[in-house]
Amino acid sequence: MHTLAWMAWVALVMAVALTTTNPYYLGVVLLCILLVAVLAPRTGSAVAGFRALLILGSGLFVVSLGIAVINGNYGGHILFTIPGPSVPDWLGGLRLGGPVSAEGLVAEAIRGLAILCVLLAFGVFNGAVSPHRVLRTTPAALFHAGLVVTVGLTLLPASVEDVRRIREMRALRGAPGGWRSLPALVVPAVIGGLERSMRLAEAMEARGYGSSPAGARLPRMLGAASAPLLLLAAAVWSYYPQARPIAIAATALGVLALAYWGWSAARSRRTTRLNSEPMARTDVTMSGISVALAVAAIVTNAAGWVNLSYSPFGGLPWPPFSLAGGTLALSCAWPALRLASQPAASREATAPAALQAMDPAHEVIQP
Amino acid sequence: MTITFERLSYAYPAEAGMAPVWALDDVGTAIAEGSFGLLAGPSAGGKSTLLRVVNGLVPQFHGGRMTGRVDVQGLDPSRTPAREMARRVGMVFQEPEAQAVAETVEDEIAFGMEQQGVAQPEMRRRVDALLSDLGIEDLRYRRLPTLSGGERQRVAIAAVLALEPAILLLDEPTSQVDPAGADAVIATLLRLHERRGLTVLIAEHRLERLLPVVDTVLEVESGKVAVMTPREAARRLRAVPAVCELGRRRGWSPPPLTVEEARRFVHDAPLRAQLREGPPRGRLLLDVAGLTVTYGERIALREASFGLCAGEVVALVGANGSGKTTLFRAIAGLVHPAHGTVAFEGAAAPRSVQQRTAHTGLVPQDPAIALYHETVRGEIDETLEHRQTGRQRGLAAIDGALGAWDLSPLASANPRDLSVGQQQRVAVATMLAHEPPVWLLDEPTRGADGPAKRWLAERLRAHAAAGGAAIVATHDIESAARYATRVIGLDAGQVVFDLPASTAFAAAGPVPTQVARLVPGARVAEDVI
Repeated sequence: MHTLAWMAWVALVMAVALTTTNPYYLGVVLLCILLVAVLAPRTGSAVAGFRALLILGSGLFVVSLGIAVINGNYGGHILFTIPGPSVPDWLGGLRLGGPVSAEGLVAEAIRGLAILCVLLAFGVFNGAVSPHRVLRTTPAALFHAGLVVTVGLTLLPASVEDVRRIREMRALRGAPGGWRSLPALVVPAVIGGLERSMRLAEAMEARGYGSSPAGARLPRMLGAASAPLLLLAAAVWSYYPQARPIAIAATALGVLALAYWGWSAARSRRTTRLNSEPMARTDVTMSGISVALAVAAIVTNAAGWVNLSYSPFGGLPWPPFSLAGGTLALSCAWPALRLASQPAASREATAPAALQAMDPAHEVIQP
Repeated sequence: MTITFERLSYAYPAEAGMAPVWALDDVGTAIAEGSFGLLAGPSAGGKSTLLRVVNGLVPQFHGGRMTGRVDVQGLDPSRTPAREMARRVGMVFQEPEAQAVAETVEDEIAFGMEQQGVAQPEMRRRVDALLSDLGIEDLRYRRLPTLSGGERQRVAIAAVLALEPAILLLDEPTSQVDPAGADAVIATLLRLHERRGLTVLIAEHRLERLLPVVDTVLEVESGKVAVMTPREAARRLRAVPAVCELGRRRGWSPPPLTVEEARRFVHDAPLRAQLREGPPRGRLLLDVAGLTVTYGERIALREASFGLCAGEVVALVGANGSGKTTLFRAIAGLVHPAHGTVAFEGAAAPRSVQQRTAHTGLVPQDPAIALYHETVRGEIDETLEHRQTGRQRGLAAIDGALGAWDLSPLASANPRDLSVGQQQRVAVATMLAHEPPVWLLDEPTRGADGPAKRWLAERLRAHAAAGGAAIVATHDIESAARYATRVIGLDAGQVVFDLPASTAFAAAGPVPTQVARLVPGARVAEDVI
């Protein structure tokens, strides 16, 4: 699957998971992500494995429920009460302890579920697409920033490897393990990481990277001006409803300025690509549909055409379910269809090489 | 003249209030177009700095103070933007893994061209030509982390040559590579030099392969540069290949650069060797039986069995990836063998790494990355603290260890401020400060200069004479011949030979030294009478 198609899918998952507060739809989205995760290739240099991310996400979920309990909350169905000090009002209504309601817990669980969905979607993306492939689809204006991030992401596993080696060396010196040796691990790892980055920066400089002309003055000024314009537009839109045409005009100006900056940056940075990744027609179609659905989710929810939200407060009602909402949530599974239709061999083609590269004990990669 | 230095002096940025230390001191030299030059000299003598002056990294990237004038193809590299310089001067750094930007070989080669905006068809043409010129067509779609050291070094060269520079600089390109890989890298460089008329400058410590093929030698020492021919270099350099060393001792003229050239002199006046007696073999210190280690599907070590007695120093040789590091890791307890046993002095080895290394100390590759104390003394102190739990530990013990490793003058220095060679010595000392009877050293002479290698050989011989034993994994046959009493060869995880040094280093042995090929029975120049 093409990198852009993966990005479109992540956008769709984010749009649906963050607009709906209905546990049915969120549950469907979560199942869709898990299905895609099972079928997705693991060729990217995933910084954290999907399994680790799953554990982390579940942990966060539990912690957020715990915090909801400590904070106490409002609602009719009180499950139990935690004794706690009364906090003065002027602290902004902060609460510690107090009654814990079923409504509060359910609301917190729904919020946690949405965050879990987004986290896992990024996990799948991270595992399926290497940062180098993401870099290839980055617009020219963001190429430098993108390259720095990409190189940084690939240095991170190297630092993890450093910590492993330093731990071994400490054992070879007879040092006991444990938390007390943390400075002895962290200091050399940080220094080693910095030295490695300096060497890489030097090598890239020697290969002609990083010293391209900064671009003309006007486009850069316009690029910088777009941010205050867009902020102004947002402020006017929310606080002065009667002046909304001004906000629309400011938005348009901001977008135009940004577009001009991007266009001229692409022209002045005359870089080329050896391998531009061709995008299959299916990927183009599906990406388009994803983006359309993402926009649809946000717009219909805001306009109230399809009710995606649910509030447990007000008597803990049973969440509603509509065919439109369910279909929208289910559409997050489209990469699964796309991946399942490909022969398994092509999905896994590069997996052995990737596994070999990640084997820390593989002698070839030990410098 | 393609490169000219005039009264060039340079100092790296110094801390405020400190006097600048001149890394290059009044250099005035010119290098002709199409030269194949070698930069020789001790570590930290200024070789790397001189290379970096040529492509402008010094002073543009590193800062510091520079006086004098440099001219590279009519440009001043200290002012020309890196993007411009990269098209004229390519540089390959010491560690190929530290300079890789992309994920696959093809993309890595294309990176520089993409930065310069080279059109796609032209890029394809150049990538194809380079892959075939360097003999790495089969690596095209491979991921960089899966390559061997020699392959990575050749990919790094291809990546730099993609911009079609007229000058190629290499900083110790063969120091990390096994003998076969080093031969391939140098053969590639020679071919490129001849076919493309490339000017090549190589900074390197291992001279035996390079001295016969280069046309100019620049001796760089304490910031001073002297230009000479390879023959003059064979006479004048402080550290030279063993065959030049022998020629010097015998007063041969003109000094031979290769074993073949030296044969003439030996044919005229045959030489005899004085046999060296190693220390007598004592009791069995380490016994390895049927050791097998697997990483997933891959068998890294297959049924390795041997014993090590007091007084022995074993050189462990074999290509990159043949299982040398794995063998050490298994002995030290860092990996658990699939089957097989390790015994220390007749008893089964203890389980934990800490207890095992109390008897059999292991110095891994790049041990200096683990240094973190403010002073050298602090590093030694820590090791002794861990090792002597319960026993009275005094200043005398630390001073003794510092003295044993020749570190007394550096005791209060910060390890991070030391030269690479000194850092390496500190790191070895911290791993072995408790004087375990058996030492395992993984490539300790990598990137070391002549004096450092000689120092290590002395240390190993003294350790063996005092009733200890050691195994040294190395690619450097010539320096191994100075200390080894026995040679074990590994190939694809299997012990393929286990021979006494007299047989292994001999002309008919598996790892002949230069001197042994000339004088039967001798291993190094000192053996010849």
